[in-house]
Amino acid sequence: MSKQTLPSSRVGRRVVAVLAIAIALDTVAQLLWKFAAMRLPSSMSPSVQFHAIAHDPLPLLVIAVSVLQLVNWLLVLERVDLSYAQPLTALSYVSVCLLSAWLFGERLDAHKVFGVLLVLIGVALVSASPVRREKP
Amino acid sequence: MSPTLIGILLVLACTGVEGLAQICLKQSTRQPSRRTRWICLGVALFVVEALIYTAALQRLDVSVAYALGAMSFVVVALGASWLLGESLPIVRRLGIGCIVAGCAVLATRG
Repeated sequence: MSKQTLPSSRVGRRVVAVLAIAIALDTVAQLLWKFAAMRLPSSMSPSVQFHAIAHDPLPLLVIAVSVLQLVNWLLVLERVDLSYAQPLTALSYVSVCLLSAWLFGERLDAHKVFGVLLVLIGVALVSASPVRREKP
Repeated sequence: MSPTLIGILLVLACTGVEGLAQICLKQSTRQPSRRTRWICLGVALFVVEALIYTAALQRLDVSVAYALGAMSFVVVALGASWLLGESLPIVRRLGIGCIVAGCAVLATRG
């Protein structure tokens, strides 16, 4: 494998596509996890937890989404630096914030909108940083 | 300790485990001869993280838990730099700083 540093505008469509899928899967996994956690008893006892998980199909769905996430994430890491790709997944903070306001009735005020804007600026800066791309 | 404080501590523990897991996964793409070993180690760490995180979500709003998890961006970037030798251009550091600041803002008022 040889490595090449490229301006981020040259990162390529395939990298953009796998990153977009990673963010979408992150969002789905987070929201499903919250649904699953809300249905579990709030006991720390592993046996109580295990029993509840074994009788609820939702955690299995979370695991299935997580496997897809892992496979897709390895496709991302094959192509670009970890310190470039990982911060970009912060875009799922924006989607989770908006969707959890809608689905779970969690509060969304000016304060949260400011936080979301900071995250968006940060993601824009990271995506503008030069990328070391790994070429097979 | 209040349930909220326990939840916060659990999420912070997750960020450390997450950093190690991500480094294992990246290492799997760099060392094809030990690919399976690195992936298994990474996945095992993610399972540990998932268990801790589930306990945290029972005590916190999903948006607050996820916002605190932003510290993993710092942990992962430093780990990638120290252990994997990745360079951290100044623009990238600034971006990561903004992301963490944004998440801190999101976390301060649930």
